[in-house]
Amino acid sequence: MLLWETLGTAWKALGASKLRTALTTLGMVIGVGAVVTMLAMGEGARAMVEGKIRSLGTNLLSVTPGAPARGPVRTGSVETLTWDDARAIAELREVARVSPESMGSAQVRYLAKNMTSGVVGATVPYLAVHSYDLTAGTAFSDNDLLARRRVAIIGANVARTLFGNLSPVGERIQIKGMSFKVLGVLEEKGNEGFSSPDDQILVPLSTHQAALFGRDYLSSIALQVASEEATSRVQTEIKRLLRLRHRLGASAEDDFDVRSQQEMLQVMGQVIGIFTALLGSVAAVSLLVGGIGIMNIMLVSVGERTREIGLRMAVGARRRNILLQFLVESVIVSVAGGLVGLGLGAVGAAGVASVAGWPMVVPVYAVVLALATSFGVGLVFGVSPARRAARLDPVEALLHE
Amino acid sequence: METVDSNALSAQHLVKIYNPDRPELAVRAVDDVSFTVERGESVAIVGPSGGGKSTLMYMLGCLSRPTSGSYLIDGRDVARLSDDALAEVRNRHIGFVFQAANLLPRRTAVENVMLPLAYAGARGARERALEALERVGLAQRAAHRPNELSGGQLQRVAIARALVTRPSLLLCDEPTGALDSRTGREILDLLEALNREGTTLLMVTHDAAVARRMRRALRIGDGRLEADGPTEEVLDGAPARASDAGGG
Ligand SMILES: Nc1ncnc2c1ncn2[C@@H]1O[C@H](COP(=O)(O)OP(=O)(O)O)[C@@H](O)[C@H]1O
Ligand SMILES: [Mg+2]
Repeated sequence: MLLWETLGTAWKALGASKLRTALTTLGMVIGVGAVVTMLAMGEGARAMVEGKIRSLGTNLLSVTPGAPARGPVRTGSVETLTWDDARAIAELREVARVSPESMGSAQVRYLAKNMTSGVVGATVPYLAVHSYDLTAGTAFSDNDLLARRRVAIIGANVARTLFGNLSPVGERIQIKGMSFKVLGVLEEKGNEGFSSPDDQILVPLSTHQAALFGRDYLSSIALQVASEEATSRVQTEIKRLLRLRHRLGASAEDDFDVRSQQEMLQVMGQVIGIFTALLGSVAAVSLLVGGIGIMNIMLVSVGERTREIGLRMAVGARRRNILLQFLVESVIVSVAGGLVGLGLGAVGAAGVASVAGWPMVVPVYAVVLALATSFGVGLVFGVSPARRAARLDPVEALLHE
Repeated sequence: METVDSNALSAQHLVKIYNPDRPELAVRAVDDVSFTVERGESVAIVGPSGGGKSTLMYMLGCLSRPTSGSYLIDGRDVARLSDDALAEVRNRHIGFVFQAANLLPRRTAVENVMLPLAYAGARGARERALEALERVGLAQRAAHRPNELSGGQLQRVAIARALVTRPSLLLCDEPTGALDSRTGREILDLLEALNREGTTLLMVTHDAAVARRMRRALRIGDGRLEADGPTEEVLDGAPARASDAGGG
C-alpha cells in the first residue's frame, strides 16, 4: 500500500526530469563500471596465471643469477651461472632434465624483412622442459650444439613477420648479420604474461655464446624434477651444490636464486592482486564522486518538492515516511547507475580480456560488490537530504513558494 | 465547562509566538485565545489580514504546536502528542482544504485522493477514493491529471482528498479565495452539505459573504479573539461572547 505509493512517487519524481536523473546516475555508472572492469581484469590475469601453472606442471625449478630478490623483478644482470653449473645440476639425483638458457636480443633479417627479436641460447632439453612443440621442421640435436651450428628455431610471430605465409623451414635468416638455417617453427603459445616464446628465436647455446654474444654466463637454468614431491629436496640440493661450486663462505649470501615456477607465478599472482586492489580503489573514488552527485541532486529535489512534503505531512505522512521516500529515490538512482555500470564494466572487461588474451571473468563477488556498493552509496548519500526533508516544519513546508 | 465528550475541539488560552527566542523578531500571532466547538458546528474564522487566522488554523489542524495553552481534539491534548501521533491525528481526524488545491501534479485525481489512505495503511483505497470523488461529483474525472482539470474541479479533488479518511473535522483556509464567485458558491454548497452530514467545519475567510454561510463566527484581530457568536452578530460588530472573553 504505502510501499506502492512510495515507489510510484519515486518513479514519477525520477521520470519527471529524465535527463537530470540520467546525469545523476552517471557518477555511479562510471564508478561501478571502473571497479567491475578492474576486478574482472584482475581475475582474468589471475586465471591466466593459474592456467599457466597448470600447464607447466608443478615440478619445474628455475635457477637465476643474483641474490634472491623479494619480488619477481630482478635488478641488473649478474654473471654467476655457467653451463658447468647446469651440467653439475644435471648430475644430481631426482633431476630429470636441465635446460641452461642465455638471453639476448638481436636484429634479425630475412630478405628485405627486418625485426628485433629475443634470441635464446638453448640446449636440446629446452623444448621438453618448457612443454613447447614445433609446428614445422625439427629441433636441434646434440651435434648441432657440439658443432656450434648456425641453426635456429623461430617463434610463431617471428615466422609470421619474416615469412608471412611462406614456409620458413630450410630458409636462411640473418641474425646479427650471420646466416642461420631455420630448422623448425614453434607452436603458437599466445600471451603468457611478461614474455612469449612466440616472439623469440632459439639457437644452440654454444653458438649463442661463441658466435652471437660472446659471453659464457647464463641467464637462467630451468629444470624438471623427477617428481613433484622431490621439488623442495632438489631445491636444497641445488643450493648446496651451487654454494660449493661458487665457493661461497658460510657468511656469504647466495649469488643465485632457486625457485619453483609455481612460486614465481604465485608471486606474479600476488602482484596482480595488489595492482587490482590499487586500481580498484582508484576506481572506487569515482563512486565517492558519484555519491556526492546523488546527494547534491537529492538536496535540490528536496528543495523543489518542499510544498509537496508539506502537503504529505498535512494528510498524515509521518517523518519516517518522508525520510523513506527520499532514501528510496536516492537508492533507486544509485542502484540503477550501478546496474548500468555493471553492464558497462562487463563490456570493458571483455574488451580488455580480448586484447590481453586472457579469459573474460566477471567474478560473482564483483557483481555482488557492485550492487551492494551502489545500494550503500545511495543510502549513505541519501540520508542527509532525506533527513532534511523529514525534519521540515509542516507549516513552513506548506507555505514554501 | 462543557464535557469533553461533546466537544469536537477545545482551545484554552492558546498562544503562538513566532521566533520566541529572538526578541527583535518575535511575533505574538495568537494571543490567549479560548473557545470550544461542538461536533457538527460550522464556524467561520474572520478578521483582518495578519490578524492570526491562519496561525490559529495551523494549530487547530495539528500542523503546529501552541507555544502555550492547551488544545484538545476529540479529547486528546495535542500539545503532549509526539510528531508521529500528530501525523496520525491529521490523517484520521482532520481534513484540510487550502486556498490552493496542492495536488501532486503528475498523479491522477483518484491517486491524489488515495494519498491520505496510503499513510493510513487502509485497504480498498482506490474504491474509497472513487467514492469520495463521487461525493464531490467528479467520478468521471478520476483518471484525469491536475493539468486537465479546472480550478473548481481541482478544489473538489482537494475536498475529496480531505474527506476520504472520513475525518470529524474539516479545516478550510480561504477555500474559495482563488475561484470565481459561482464556482466558489458550488464549493461552499458542497462543504455545507458535508457539514449537514455531521462533519465539523471550520473556515478561515476574510469574505463576509463566505462567512455568512457558517452559523457561528470567531473574529480574530491582533492575535486576540475579538468576537465569538452567531455569524450575523459577529459580522455586525457584536462583542465577544461573555463566557469566552471573560466578561467584556
Ligand atoms: N512563520 C512566521 N514567522 C514569523 N511571523 C509570522 C509567521 N507566520 C505568520 N507570521 C506573523 O503572524 C501574524 C499572523 O499571521 P497569519 O496567521 O498569517 O494571519 P492571517 O492568516 O490572519 O492573515 C502576522 O503578523 C504574520 O506576519
Ligand atoms: Mg492567512
